[in-house]
Amino acid sequence: MNNSISPPKSGQNTWLWLLKMVTGLLIVLVLSVHLIVNHYLPEGGLMRYEDVIAYFSNPLVVLMEIVFLVTVVPHALIGVRSIILDLNPSKGSTRLINWILALVGATAIIYGIWLALTVASLA
Amino acid sequence: MSERENKPNTSNWFMWFDVRHRDIGDWAFVLHRLTALGLVLYLGMHLIVLGTLTLGPDAFNSFIDLAHNPLFIFGELLVVAAALYHGLNGLRVGLTSFGVAIPYQKQLWYVVMAIAVIGSIIFAISMFTA
Amino acid sequence: MSTSKWDVTFLVYRKKGQGTPHYDEFTIKVNPDEYVLDAIERIWAYQDRSLVFAHACHHSTCGACGMRVNGVEKLTCITLIRDVTADGGKVKVDPLRNFPIISDLTVDMGVLYTRMDEVGHRPVLPLSEEPAEPGVKPVKIAAEGDIIRLADCIECGLCISACPIANTTSGYLGPAVLAGALQHGLDSDQHLFSLVEGENGVWRCHSAFECTEVCPSYVEPAGKIMELRKQVIWKRIFGIAK
Repeated sequence: MNNSISPPKSGQNTWLWLLKMVTGLLIVLVLSVHLIVNHYLPEGGLMRYEDVIAYFSNPLVVLMEIVFLVTVVPHALIGVRSIILDLNPSKGSTRLINWILALVGATAIIYGIWLALTVASLA
Repeated sequence: MSERENKPNTSNWFMWFDVRHRDIGDWAFVLHRLTALGLVLYLGMHLIVLGTLTLGPDAFNSFIDLAHNPLFIFGELLVVAAALYHGLNGLRVGLTSFGVAIPYQKQLWYVVMAIAVIGSIIFAISMFTA
Repeated sequence: MSTSKWDVTFLVYRKKGQGTPHYDEFTIKVNPDEYVLDAIERIWAYQDRSLVFAHACHHSTCGACGMRVNGVEKLTCITLIRDVTADGGKVKVDPLRNFPIISDLTVDMGVLYTRMDEVGHRPVLPLSEEPAEPGVKPVKIAAEGDIIRLADCIECGLCISACPIANTTSGYLGPAVLAGALQHGLDSDQHLFSLVEGENGVWRCHSAFECTEVCPSYVEPAGKIMELRKQVIWKRIFGIAK
């Protein structure tokens, strides 16, 4: 019988799924920290540009936001990949999609870290 | 027979959305995917908007002025509701995926919805009375 | 037991060849304690001999009579009419989803049967490998003279029809096949492991649990898919499936 389902050699699907689960769990924790700390820590809240800049002078805040970024972006993009896989792309298209999503993810993370550090330096 | 397999699916990609005659679990999946798409869009916008912090006070502050618009606050409420549902149902999916509480997956979903709805109401009250 | 008959209108899906699908209405008198399949048979026998439907054992063992009754997947031989309608009511009967329609209520289950073969699902196997009571862990080594049983999965295809992923793509192996792969286990067969871990395997499931919801035979395919995932992860991390 013609087996048109070709096996992956890398265990890619397994590792990506595990990563999605782990980042998902971390996000529940880090997002709670992100919301609670951003709401309650700054005096008078984060109302204006000046408040945000002052807030980001705290290196722990910068670290927290970077950790959040690094967990959310992979989770989101692996999830988007799962949705795209329902379109049954060919093997070639799948590899292209993998590369595009990886590129988007790397760009988002680099941009986010640059942004966090830049804002921190404005204080 | 083999020509049916693995053809790129361009015609019925939206069929995952068809919940007619389906049970709780399918509703859970559809809501999970819808909130996921909403949150991805939000993530992109959030990262871009925060970029205005590097353009001086006026850029970011004028965005903040926009954010006082009730329509905008409603949008933020949708994001909060989506995040609550997606995170809580995500925990449910994580649990059942590792074999925990599978016979109770429907009851778990009711708990997820209850917390998500109550949480959203609390957020709505605090956001619109601030 | 009630002996008074009900008047029930059956809206039966019809499709012949390349013709447009439509519903034919048949109003018949039925005993509400009969089964939907009995009504379909009576419609065929007395009203329309061109109606095509599949059936065999009439006691939920062969898996042939799966259809959608009022939109929900059922084995029609064990679906009581009183459970799906009332006196004077209507019942909609459709073929299963996600299989090509041969004629009317009959679908081509070939892909399912082939895939079940490919994952090595055995319809008859030792009791020690598939215990009849839930919660009892199977012991792989079968003793000589062990009792044999029919496997829980009767390959009826209700789960495939109900699955939202199977609804979007015909390539997805589907709940019955993945549950069937668990029967074999992942340590013995490289090809089976690749199939299960591949782009049409366990990672395409999105936990809708519709399969378990409609399964008439206590297979609980959703739970089996989760179990299979654990085996795949264990094998990737530790080299052997749990």
